[in-house]
Amino acid sequence: MTIAALFLMLFGFIFMGMPIAIALGFSSVTTILLFSNDSLPSVALKLFEATSEHYTLLAIPFFILSSAFLSTGGVAKRLINFAIDSIGHVRGGLAMASVMACMLFAAVSGSSPATVAAIGTIVIAGMVRAGYPESFAAGVIANAGTLGILIPPSIVMLVYAAATEVSASRMFMAGFIPGLMMGGILMIAIYITARIKKLPAQPFPGFRQLAKSGSIAMGGLMLIVIVLGSIYGGIASPTEAAAVAAVYAYLVAVFGYRDIGPMKGILWRNQGESSGAAAIRNLFQMAIALPKSVTNPEVRKVVLDGSKVSLMLLFIIANAMLFAHVLTTERIPHTIAETIIQWGLPAWGFLIVVNILLLIAGNFMEPSAILLIMAPILFPIATQLGIDPIHLGIIMVVNMEIGMLTPPVGLNLFVTAGITGKNMVWVIKACLPWLSLLLFFLILITYIPQISLFLPELIDSMRGY
Amino acid sequence: APVEIKFSHVVAENTPKGQMAIKFKELVDERLAGKVEVKVFPSSQLFGDNKVLEAMLLGDVQMAAPSLSKFQKYTKSLQVFDLPFLFKDMDAVERFQKGPEGQKLLGALQKKGLVGLGYLHNGMKQLSASAPLKVPADASGKKFRIMTSDVLQAQFEAVDAVPLKKPFSEVFTLLQTRAIDGQENTWSNIFSKKFFEVQPYITESNHGVLDYLIVTSAEFWMGLDDDLRTEISAALNDAIAYGNQIAAQKAESDKQAIIDSKRSEVVNLSDAERAQWVTAMKPVWKQFEDEIGADVISAAEASNQ
Amino acid sequence: MIRKVIDHFEESFLSLLMVSMTLLVFAEVVLRFGFNTGIHWAQEVTLLIAAWFVLYGASYGVKVGAHIGVDVFVKLLPSPIHRFLTLLAIVLALVYCGMFLYGSWIYLAKMKMIGIELEDLPIPKWIPMSILVIGFALLALRFLELGWKVLKGEVEGFHFVDEAAESMEIAEELKAAEAAEAAAKENNTKETK
Ligand code: NA
Ligand code: NA
Repeated sequence: MTIAALFLMLFGFIFMGMPIAIALGFSSVTTILLFSNDSLPSVALKLFEATSEHYTLLAIPFFILSSAFLSTGGVAKRLINFAIDSIGHVRGGLAMASVMACMLFAAVSGSSPATVAAIGTIVIAGMVRAGYPESFAAGVIANAGTLGILIPPSIVMLVYAAATEVSASRMFMAGFIPGLMMGGILMIAIYITARIKKLPAQPFPGFRQLAKSGSIAMGGLMLIVIVLGSIYGGIASPTEAAAVAAVYAYLVAVFGYRDIGPMKGILWRNQGESSGAAAIRNLFQMAIALPKSVTNPEVRKVVLDGSKVSLMLLFIIANAMLFAHVLTTERIPHTIAETIIQWGLPAWGFLIVVNILLLIAGNFMEPSAILLIMAPILFPIATQLGIDPIHLGIIMVVNMEIGMLTPPVGLNLFVTAGITGKNMVWVIKACLPWLSLLLFFLILITYIPQISLFLPELIDSMRGY
Repeated sequence: APVEIKFSHVVAENTPKGQMAIKFKELVDERLAGKVEVKVFPSSQLFGDNKVLEAMLLGDVQMAAPSLSKFQKYTKSLQVFDLPFLFKDMDAVERFQKGPEGQKLLGALQKKGLVGLGYLHNGMKQLSASAPLKVPADASGKKFRIMTSDVLQAQFEAVDAVPLKKPFSEVFTLLQTRAIDGQENTWSNIFSKKFFEVQPYITESNHGVLDYLIVTSAEFWMGLDDDLRTEISAALNDAIAYGNQIAAQKAESDKQAIIDSKRSEVVNLSDAERAQWVTAMKPVWKQFEDEIGADVISAAEASNQ
Repeated sequence: MIRKVIDHFEESFLSLLMVSMTLLVFAEVVLRFGFNTGIHWAQEVTLLIAAWFVLYGASYGVKVGAHIGVDVFVKLLPSPIHRFLTLLAIVLALVYCGMFLYGSWIYLAKMKMIGIELEDLPIPKWIPMSILVIGFALLALRFLELGWKVLKGEVEGFHFVDEAAESMEIAEELKAAEAAEAAAKENNTKETK
């Protein structure tokens, strides 16, 4: 009865077009008022607790801010140059380099659609010029763009960690191998296609050029090193590492790359300038640019954009905590788990059901919203069936990746249609072969938990426990 | 309808506190069937430690058992339990809590609308760290995680250590990666939170006590019939006695389990070394004497005999 | 004019909360790692700023359409039905705000009466908590505003953030840059000729 009321209200409100945050909060409060004797003041208290007692959650706005600073076309160009210089000379190299650029940009920005837009705009045209079929190019990019939520740091993983209280740093580690693996699978598929279709290779630019583009790209890529390095190197917790990443991203964007902000257009070294003079000039200009950032419209826009995304997510999470509160106090996951166990559903069967449920949900909802609704329900059931929570998390994330490529709501499809100027049917057809690879990958991830668990467990054992 | 008591706590059901709550529920079911119903919510299902007292004041939770340090904004006098090297062992703690001053402290929260119903033991605190702590100088400059408590802050500052407040959820990672050097806790917490796996040295300092206070709201408590109140009190006291017994056993067995795991070396202090710690930390008493009350401190000290 | 000032204030305040939260945590890391010390009130203050950021920001999110929702289905419906459903959703959202306003008010009044201070700073707890009441009042205001627009027929539904469209901004920026570059190149070749 309670279960039915809660879910009917939730989905009724969502499909009425109510913001998901309000739908979650309102259906929860109404269920509390109807079926339990908690008072409204204590519900308000609960919401305040949800917004003010979860330090780990703050990693989310900090990462969003850092990705807002680095999700620019300029960063994308630098990463593409580096990727092409490193693997462009293999057969099908341009496509492989595009996948690599997607992985790198996605890792830094964490946003799938932004990756497709930034990398896709540049490389799809380039690939077509080099003789690749456009549908091939578009399909590869739309797919590789989804890796952003699997390769750490990942906001979706933080949301999962928040919903289930598993360790965010373990989730990050767990995503590493699957992320590289999926990228590898895409590249192998490209290589095979390239051999069959006799697709071209780029000339190797030489190690000097590679070193140069590599060091330029390093500015952005250092973010991953800083985040993972400070978490695992004993400097900071995930939340703190995220704050460091945000500050670093600001410094790189404004003082290093100078794509935005008060130093835009100022060269590191003017023509004919001695290095000493350039160093002094740069230092002086940076000292002025620091306070100027406060009023600079471009910097302000980045901060405001980051704030908008953050408040949206945090407000959903706060309301989702009310929802999770109703679930636990009404023992809903417990009831569902008991039913499932009564059916005699084994762990592998449960995982099939999970995958199907998530794939359906991914057809019309945002990843974070799905996670916040589904994780508190699936997590206790999985625990009872002996499935590792970290493994479940990676399964959910891979499902979310697939959701970005399936209609009607598939962000990567929309963006791909936008940058190629083609219609949705064309885009869906272009993505289909790659989507089937992703589905195959999902099966691997689901039934070989070691792919996800190997690295976190290795790190544990390296530390001697 | 029966009187409903929602008992909210933040630990798992298999801990001494969790067992005590379950025992209380069983005793009430047995003795006050139909008159009182206890519902236990473990593992912060209802509220975390920081908000549970507020929820109690709003009338949505009737019982909780936060650690004594959590009350510093409600009354200063309960800070006596945080003072370093005040109690020799758990027997002394027990004597003080059962004595007249300890019982008087149960009423210290009255002005803020809360009533203390009894103390529940966790145990004596030990110091764990990434390097062996033999004398106070070993702690100097090291970073220790503390819960929010002015006394605990002063205690670490007294040995020139750096007290840092970090949420419990982040402590394990911070210790594991050595971003923080050490922490203080009871044997059973060090064991259940797996701190011993990431802290190679544990000094058996017994420098302080970590106990809980079972509280209820004054409005709820005074609203009960006199005889009902007496019976609930009796059931609670029996449950506390049961919980304390488990806590004592668990402190011993967890300590042994930590030693057996060989992940962590237990550092024992000689009398002379211990005396150094006492000398360094005891000035903290003076610092908080005005807030806590000199009579309370001396009564606590007297319980050591 | 007044609208502009309000817009500017709302945006600046939200950004200020975001930046101060980030810098506080950053400062803690620098102090701990570089100077072996900490700020004893940092954690509590950071978390309170976070609460302000979310509860204050929620209303700003409605104003600028930063929330997410599922509107693929309602958009398929005929316009009058879509508008009716939106109005109904707004009324329910107002009920949601009303419940929280009522609950928050009592909660706040109780905290003020008991008179508890923050853990680490000598400030009464009810003062930072007042964002509960402020936030939900502002949220209700924004929903009323939206409802009015729907009634007047200016809009049909909630305006949700469109991540795909926002990502396209980067694409457009890149295309513009490319066009500018091509134009510059052409100019250059012309000049050298
Ligand atoms: Na990422
Ligand atoms: Na989808």
